[in-house]
Amino acid sequence: MIKINAKHVNPFVEAAMRVVTQIAGIEVRRGHLSYKEKVEPSFGVSIIVGIYGFLTGQVVYSLDGKLAERMVDKMLDGKSPQEKKIMFLDCLGEVANMITGNAASLLNQRRDQILNITTPAIAAGTNLSVHLVPKPALVLGLITQYGPIEISIAVEEKETLQEMGMADDGLLSET
Amino acid sequence: MAKKVLVVDDANFMRTIVKDTLLPNGFEIAGEATNGMEAVTMYMKLKPDLVTMDITMKVKDGLEAAREILAADPNARIVMVTALGQEKMLLDSIALGVRDFVVKPFTKERILSAVEKALQ
Repeated sequence: MIKINAKHVNPFVEAAMRVVTQIAGIEVRRGHLSYKEKVEPSFGVSIIVGIYGFLTGQVVYSLDGKLAERMVDKMLDGKSPQEKKIMFLDCLGEVANMITGNAASLLNQRRDQILNITTPAIAAGTNLSVHLVPKPALVLGLITQYGPIEISIAVEEKETLQEMGMADDGLLSET
Repeated sequence: MAKKVLVVDDANFMRTIVKDTLLPNGFEIAGEATNGMEAVTMYMKLKPDLVTMDITMKVKDGLEAAREILAADPNARIVMVTALGQEKMLLDSIALGVRDFVVKPFTKERILSAVEKALQ
């Protein structure tokens, strides 16, 4: 049995709204929440960030190329088209890094532990396939005026794994 | 004389933001490093007045790099700049001897203020 927890979602909503609005000036609204048996990015640009500590797993960000271009354009306002091209993937990775880092800070209310994240891995382009560890995920949709952002949260709580069977309102489970 | 800053971050975008904030305010960019190992090597070679240091980086992370720099030069002025604003990370950084801790995303005013205060 694998368990994931709905309480992990809100920190990502809050962090994504804060980061995308501040860094790219793009408003973000919360969309639908769904459950998938394994992570399958829906759009052409995917950014993967690992989380490790008392939570472990992956967070996968997926967005359409047009939204990615618009976001980078705003992040690098005043830079030349050449500079924007060079820093395109770098900017998207940093957005994912900041959202995950901010969400990790909101998730970690413990004074004695650090919830770490990995550097982002980015896949962009046509005819690409992303191979991920086949784990169940909560899939959070975010809405912007330039298109959707999908965040697949596939993380497990170490304590939760040790305490399987304990009641928790926020737990989703798959057998 | 302009104060020299070593900018350490694996993201070109973030190094660009830091440089674009510091250069018009009278600072000189001594160099740029993309991981902690480069940061330590460049610090020893360039002897900058201050380092802005990311934490999550491949090869060697920013906390380890800060530890090595401060072990070699206890007067080194380091400002951590990270997306991870967790309490233990902040306390660990202060215990190491870093001067400030800036959480990404930051405003230009915040990073400028941190750098100026660290140099006082």
